[in-house]
Amino acid sequence: MKRLHALLLVLGTAAAISGCVKSTKPANTPAPAPSLFPGSASTRGSATPVSGEVPPPPVVIPMDPSVTALSSNPLNNASVVDINKDSPLRAVFFAYDSDALDDAARATMSANADVLRKYGTWVVTVEGHCDERGTAEYNLALGDRRAQAVKNYMVSLGVPADRLKTVSYGSEFPFAPGHDEKSWSENRRGHFMLTAK
Amino acid sequence: MTRGFVAVAGLMAASVLISAAPAQPDSDVYALQDPQTPPRQNPTELSVLLNNPGSHPKIGFQPFAAGAPALADAATTIAEVLAADLEYEREFYIIARKASAGIPVASTPQTLPFAQWTDIGADLVMMGSLRDAGGGKVEVQVKLVSVKSAGGGVREFSYGGCTAASIRYCAHSIADDMHKQLRNLEGVARTKLAYTSDRDGETSVGRPIDNAASGKEIHLMDYDGAGDQRYTRLRRLSIAPTWGPDARSLVFASYAPMPDIFLATLDGRPLTRPAQGTDFISNTTPVLSPDGTKIAFTSTRGGSSGYYDVWVVNRDGSNLHNVTPGTDRSSEGAPTWSPDGTRLALTSDRTGTNQVFIMNADGTGLERRTFAGKADRPTWSKLGYIAYTLERAGGHDIAVLDLARGEPRVLTDGVGSCRQPTAAPNGRHIVFVTTRWGGKEHLASIDYPDGKFIRQLTTQGNNTYPNWSPSPGGK
Repeated sequence: MKRLHALLLVLGTAAAISGCVKSTKPANTPAPAPSLFPGSASTRGSATPVSGEVPPPPVVIPMDPSVTALSSNPLNNASVVDINKDSPLRAVFFAYDSDALDDAARATMSANADVLRKYGTWVVTVEGHCDERGTAEYNLALGDRRAQAVKNYMVSLGVPADRLKTVSYGSEFPFAPGHDEKSWSENRRGHFMLTAK
Repeated sequence: MTRGFVAVAGLMAASVLISAAPAQPDSDVYALQDPQTPPRQNPTELSVLLNNPGSHPKIGFQPFAAGAPALADAATTIAEVLAADLEYEREFYIIARKASAGIPVASTPQTLPFAQWTDIGADLVMMGSLRDAGGGKVEVQVKLVSVKSAGGGVREFSYGGCTAASIRYCAHSIADDMHKQLRNLEGVARTKLAYTSDRDGETSVGRPIDNAASGKEIHLMDYDGAGDQRYTRLRRLSIAPTWGPDARSLVFASYAPMPDIFLATLDGRPLTRPAQGTDFISNTTPVLSPDGTKIAFTSTRGGSSGYYDVWVVNRDGSNLHNVTPGTDRSSEGAPTWSPDGTRLALTSDRTGTNQVFIMNADGTGLERRTFAGKADRPTWSKLGYIAYTLERAGGHDIAVLDLARGEPRVLTDGVGSCRQPTAAPNGRHIVFVTTRWGGKEHLASIDYPDGKFIRQLTTQGNNTYPNWSPSPGGK
């Protein structure tokens, strides 16, 4: 913005002198007094009308998706997507505000470990999810602890650690949209997502 | 952007009025009846009304004169937006348009029906007129007329350079200038909010699950809720945007597929990833320092599994370092910079529950600042307070900690769940997330310090992680 002030000051002065303004490069003059509008900085108390030029609004150019390097997401792979639609790897569920694994969770993970032994090249991301209670930031951390708890148990069952990534979605990406315990209990999960075969 | 400015400025400069009159001491009276009378030296009734911070004069708005049929909509919009912007800062009280709807419209300050304006309690009448200045430009003239002086006191403002396409921005610019001229106040009418929204309703890449929540994208909108613009098109989760100085950059976290920090310069250039996340690291909740040179963020890099630390990196990716090391069994995160950039406030659970802590930006001098309930996601205002999310008895409210007085107090009213505050650059307002309107997450504005005037800013989708831009030209 300082360059704009400097530019307008230079062009305004040029206009007064020559009456004709062509495009010029901005001059490197120091910024004037802190009014937003050149020409109105010190007119408080002046008997003539305050004048100012409204600069054009800043333009934000939205992100161009083709520019981003995110299209190399492995989840784009069609066969990975198909498997995830009806995955042999099942989710484990958690109690409120907890990353503790119960018997049902351990049984599920045992079955998942069998699947990963069968498909020896599969790489999986364990996603930690939370229900909507608690702050968004707290849930990002809790989701991380849930994902980590799942990974640690899977590793203890013999799955190599480099085949298991972890990520937390906190409460940002719920599976069930409701605001009751039924939905909340579905959202408190460690979800197994195939990311590479 | 610079080339555009140069071309436009060339057009604008030809119509700049440079005031050549010497500054008159302490008089705002524009004596229409007798231009030869020298201005009085004592403060006038008009200048007292306008410039005294203890006075909150009541302003009635006349419909603005369009000057040409094509400018009719622009005239209506400018008057509405200007009235709302002035009302927002509560320096001037704006009389509702319906109260003045029956009063005949005058074309000059002297011919205003002063008795009728007096009857509805107006101290001042706002008159406005637009003029087509050619080349797509609109000139706007605004006059504040003192009712008591029956046309003898007029303060005039005129602005060139507006365009019909950016007429709201024109009104916002006028409001900011009037607040600056009359009350020496940094208005926020030209500021913007960045936030996260699921309103685009697109399923995310690779999540073909029934009932799957839609992706979340970064959106921008004017401080008053108008002009919503979708910024990201990544079709996954992009969250927690925060602005850089002068509102020319944005940092946010996006799941790519692991969450990493993205730095955007808003001018179409590609994003960069200064925190250098990998498949095994999560980086999130980034904040640019007030001078824009560094980013503080939350990371799992190098820590115990499942525990976060606050890291800082230069915006070019150099000097990546942990500022909360040595805390293997606690999580530190959700940082916010002090206004002078020398300190950070953050959330830590090292005492058992999430609380707000303050420390030097290098990690030394960590001090706990909240002690009741659970406290999360601080935001640090120039006015010397920290706002944060307070959780107690199962509910969330916005609390504010005045750093000089040291005692936190609750700002919101316990209605719905109120979280994730962000303070205006002038500190007089806070925007936050609330579920009080129909259960979805919406952004609302509330005034500081009195907690009055809760205003709804969004109406679609679920909207979270608001962040208030700096003022143009400011921090």
